[in-house]
Amino acid sequence: MASTTAEEQPFTLAVPDADLELLRTKLASVRFPDELEGAAWDYGAPLADIQRLVTHWKNSFDWRKAEAAINTLPMFTHDIEVDGFGTLNIHYVHQKSAVKNAVPLLFVHGWPGHFLEVRKLLPLLTAGPADQPSFHVVALSLPGFGFSEAPKKPGFKGRHYAEVFNKLMLSLGYEEYVYQGGDWGCALGAHAVTHYAHTHIKAWHTNTPFYRRPKFLSNPLLFLGLLTLPFNEPALAGLQRSQEFMKKGMGYYMEQATQPQTLGYSLADSPVGLLAWIYEKLVSWSDDYPWTDDEVIEWISIYWFSRAGPAAAGRIYYEITNRNTNDLFEGTKRTTVPFGVAYFPGEIAQTPKSWSKMLGKVVFESTHDKGGHFSAFEQPEKLASDLHKMFGKGGPAHGVVPGRNGYD
Amino acid sequence: MGSWAKPFTVQVSDADLELLHKKLELATFPDELEGAGWDYGAPLADVKRITEYWRDKFDWRKTEETINQLPQFTTEIEVEGHGSLNIHFVHQKSAAENAIPLLFVHGWPGSFLEVRKLLPILTAASPDQPSFHVVAPSLPGFGFSEAPTKPGFGGYQHAEVLNKLMLSLGYNEYVYQAGDLGHVLGVYVANAYGHKHLKAWHTNMPTYRAPTFWSNPLLILEIFTNKAVSQTLEQASRTWKKGGGYYMVQTTVPQTLAYSFADSPDGLLAWIYEKLARIVDDYHWTEDEVLEWISIYWFSRAGPGANVRIYYELTGGNKHDMFEGTKWTSVPLGTSYFPKEPIRFPKSWACLIGKVVFQAEHDKGGHFAAHEQPEKLAGDLRMMFGKGGPAYGIVPGKDGYA
Repeated sequence: MASTTAEEQPFTLAVPDADLELLRTKLASVRFPDELEGAAWDYGAPLADIQRLVTHWKNSFDWRKAEAAINTLPMFTHDIEVDGFGTLNIHYVHQKSAVKNAVPLLFVHGWPGHFLEVRKLLPLLTAGPADQPSFHVVALSLPGFGFSEAPKKPGFKGRHYAEVFNKLMLSLGYEEYVYQGGDWGCALGAHAVTHYAHTHIKAWHTNTPFYRRPKFLSNPLLFLGLLTLPFNEPALAGLQRSQEFMKKGMGYYMEQATQPQTLGYSLADSPVGLLAWIYEKLVSWSDDYPWTDDEVIEWISIYWFSRAGPAAAGRIYYEITNRNTNDLFEGTKRTTVPFGVAYFPGEIAQTPKSWSKMLGKVVFESTHDKGGHFSAFEQPEKLASDLHKMFGKGGPAHGVVPGRNGYD
Repeated sequence: MGSWAKPFTVQVSDADLELLHKKLELATFPDELEGAGWDYGAPLADVKRITEYWRDKFDWRKTEETINQLPQFTTEIEVEGHGSLNIHFVHQKSAAENAIPLLFVHGWPGSFLEVRKLLPILTAASPDQPSFHVVAPSLPGFGFSEAPTKPGFGGYQHAEVLNKLMLSLGYNEYVYQAGDLGHVLGVYVANAYGHKHLKAWHTNMPTYRAPTFWSNPLLILEIFTNKAVSQTLEQASRTWKKGGGYYMVQTTVPQTLAYSFADSPDGLLAWIYEKLARIVDDYHWTEDEVLEWISIYWFSRAGPGANVRIYYELTGGNKHDMFEGTKWTSVPLGTSYFPKEPIRFPKSWACLIGKVVFQAEHDKGGHFAAHEQPEKLAGDLRMMFGKGGPAYGIVPGKDGYA
């Protein structure tokens, strides 16, 4: 199979003036709801926060400046044929390292994330210290997110995402590569290795390890481990936090997994509706990250100006869960490629650490004292350091990609 | 006892109408997957069509006039710990002096307008049928009633409003009809004011917390022995999995949702229309009907974001079910089963709610029974409260006959 690096199609983000004007007009006509006294965060995103952010969006945020900064990233698009779905034009960042034998790494975002989550990692991974391994980093916009096209038909499953990932990497001449992802990046990682472990994906890492509860027949030891859970305080605390999350934090999941179109009308029509829907997660899922108003609005803008529109992204929940009739890992199997996990304290779904073994062959583990769900954005040094340790000399996944061990 | 009720007319300001139209002009629609149908939620063609009708053809002022033909009032109701709320309600008396006072309570995404088609039937005075004086409020935070301003306005607070409303109109003893959240609140009213003020009640959505093996072993065993029961439960589970998204969002983050509702007319439309279209039985909504319904939300006194907070307050933010703090009461209860009501309980479980004295089953009708099948629902009330019925004469001195 030829894997010549076909010429990449550079991509420049250029939101039309008309779109900016429409946004401005909508922001000028925002109607706010009321709020209960002393509600704080109990009922959802607080009114004071949202009002402040809207004012900032209207009066201070400079999209063209943000756009120009985004355009300093090396971005491209590529047409990818997906079995049964025709061609999808996929947007991605591709930053090569000066180190020729750098390890090709695919970075996959989740929801409500996007490709820019890789931004702070880029210098750390592609141009780190000489004694650390370097990476060629590819970070795509998932189909339906950011500046990638969305599938036009129902039924875009895990294996289709995996197909997009793999074909993208192959098109760049990366026959063999490693994978890093959180949130959907983790679930889709499980799908990707199911199809391409060993042949193409040589190792993978996640910063949001979560999985389904072990069943006795498939994992008797882990299942029995559940019985000792009451005596394992940290695991129990984590599981309790997960159960809390299941009760109080899963509204977005259920709605997106069952009625993404219904939700989509609000997200497409109301910038403040979209802002609130996403901002609520940015704050509640991160670990005390000091979001600036510019950061938040830039983040929301990726959704507002996304190629497929803000309603398309939520459909991934519907498709992968088959309209909420199965979990995110349906159709995946455990593979034996080296697997690394990072545990961050602010992570929302905290399954016992022993369950990571069900997800993959754990060769590397790290536990941090700070950072939440968006760790690439919140704690890039910690995450980069994990990847350095996992793939560096003496690390458990060193040299997994033949001929590209990260050092010249 | 006099009533301090003031007459009320709906009068949306020109400024509000203008803002709505401005937003409708700016409406931006999402795309849709090919062949999606209803699978992913409200279809694009429907929402676009209704939004465009709203923008170009729907005549709110004409609708407002029609609504104002209903006898509407407002009154101040004190709620312990929450100050005073100005409550809006319809109050239609029957010509029959001894008509039975009946409180009709809407749910979500309903409104006081759901009583409309029932009014002429229930208030008609006749020697052959019982008639009713009907009171139909906007729940706090819905329609034209004020919303609570502090957290903690739960089931018993709502019950306090409802009971005090009836008392303020001189109805010391009354009966009650509802479905959806109105049914849930009926349980609270029965618990707090049963027998003393609430003499009997009727529901078209008879549900409660599920039985446990310890509390009702026979009902649990029935799940394994009675196919009808297990099928009902399986269907309920499927309905929940597919259709419970709104509930999960509204019980946990109603404020987050509120921003969309307040700012996007077609966003609000889609969220509510998805329910209106799906949970009825062969009922063909006209654009005008849908838009009148949505308008009550869009132009509501407290804004469209306030109403969904009831889900949070009743469940403690999804910590528990909606019936927390209530139990079975012996207040006579009537139940009606409509085939397309999605929120179903096995019939044998109705006895968990209260003392069932009346049961009816219909071959047509869905969730919005009062709106879809007013004759059937009114017929049930006439049977339950009429001469020879199980709740005849339940309100002393007001048997409903002219």
